[in-house]
Amino acid sequence: MNDRYSRQILFPGIGADGQASLQTKHALILGAGALGSAAAETLVRAGVGELTIIDRDYVEWSNLPRQQLYGEKEAEAKMPKAVAAKERLQAIRSDAVIHSLVMDATAEKLEDIAPGLDILIDGSDNFDIRFILNDLSQKYRIPWVFGACAGSYGMSFTIVPGETPCLQCILPAIPSFSVTCETDGVIAPAVQMTSAYQTAEALKILSGRTEAVQTKLTLFDVWKNQHHAIQVGKTKKDTCPSCGTSPAYAHLAGADDTKMAVLCGRDTVQIRPETSRSYDFTYLETKLSRHGRVQKNPYLLSCALPDYRLVVFRDGRVLVHGTKKVEQAKAIYEKYFLS
Amino acid sequence: MIKVLFFARLQDEAGTEALEAQKAGQTVQEIKAWLKEEYQLSSLDQAMAAVNEEFANNEDTLSDGDTIAFIPPVSGG
Ligand SMILES: [Zn+2]
Repeated sequence: MNDRYSRQILFPGIGADGQASLQTKHALILGAGALGSAAAETLVRAGVGELTIIDRDYVEWSNLPRQQLYGEKEAEAKMPKAVAAKERLQAIRSDAVIHSLVMDATAEKLEDIAPGLDILIDGSDNFDIRFILNDLSQKYRIPWVFGACAGSYGMSFTIVPGETPCLQCILPAIPSFSVTCETDGVIAPAVQMTSAYQTAEALKILSGRTEAVQTKLTLFDVWKNQHHAIQVGKTKKDTCPSCGTSPAYAHLAGADDTKMAVLCGRDTVQIRPETSRSYDFTYLETKLSRHGRVQKNPYLLSCALPDYRLVVFRDGRVLVHGTKKVEQAKAIYEKYFLS
Repeated sequence: MIKVLFFARLQDEAGTEALEAQKAGQTVQEIKAWLKEEYQLSSLDQAMAAVNEEFANNEDTLSDGDTIAFIPPVSGG
């Protein structure tokens, strides 16, 4: 037990004081999919004191080739990823303090928890949330580590408020098109490489070695063995609406209006009631089982309708699988939940 | 002569990882317009551009011997 972290302490980049520092730190893992799972496991094993994991989804079979915290048991039970992740991580390290939140990471909720955080790790799968993270990082002066991958390709970039350019300096607008896992597939080595860069940066920041932080945008293709590091220093602008001299933090302000969201490339629409509500699962099970097979666990209930599948979470969110059309999803929601 | 590199999906769309062209003296914007036309690269407008491994703006001009890389944003995770 006493020599648990001995190899990290021997590593000159971290050392005894770096290790002591890590153990007092609190990291946010936003999204517990492939990148979030990988980062959470690395940081918990490394001894980071406290983790908050936010995820709105549950484990599916198609996650298993690369989402390293989950297995068949969790896919079969449709366990929420945040819950399954905490269970696995506590088995790896019982003294880690882990908060698991099954919910949408809205700007409002993130602002509530931001003050206690030392780093934000991007485990998300879309740029809407990354622009919220970017504003959050600037407003609360918390470093964040962007990471994304698809196919055999990935990229990572570390944003230190006051020092590096921010995401909005590099990408002035949310890309309307981007390469996603759903359209281009993904292989685990691309995830692991992206995560290796992200977590190395996190270890530097959390152990207090900020001078070692990588200031370039790193990108690579593990299938084609390509690797590039792009200098981005000159993109930093005083007029940037997030990291400039008069920031607006626009992504923290308006973001909560979205009550309906099409989940990135997943043929799924999420509906979030205006006020969070909790359903009586027993009543709902009786009602929905007239229409299709119902499966439930303590966190969610799912019903397979002939053409769609509904998943209801405890916080009132409903996923309508089988459509990308918001109006169609809304009609289905109203039919089964409001009538 | 300049060298053009494509990443990720752009490689598949262009059918090549790299090409050379007589485009010294042109801006990033002009090279993008030419590539979009020549290789039907619909997503090129969304891509980030780097010249000699440094982030470039649309107004930057390329010199003989420069390498320009187009990097599509990737969102998966
Ligand atoms: Zn900025």
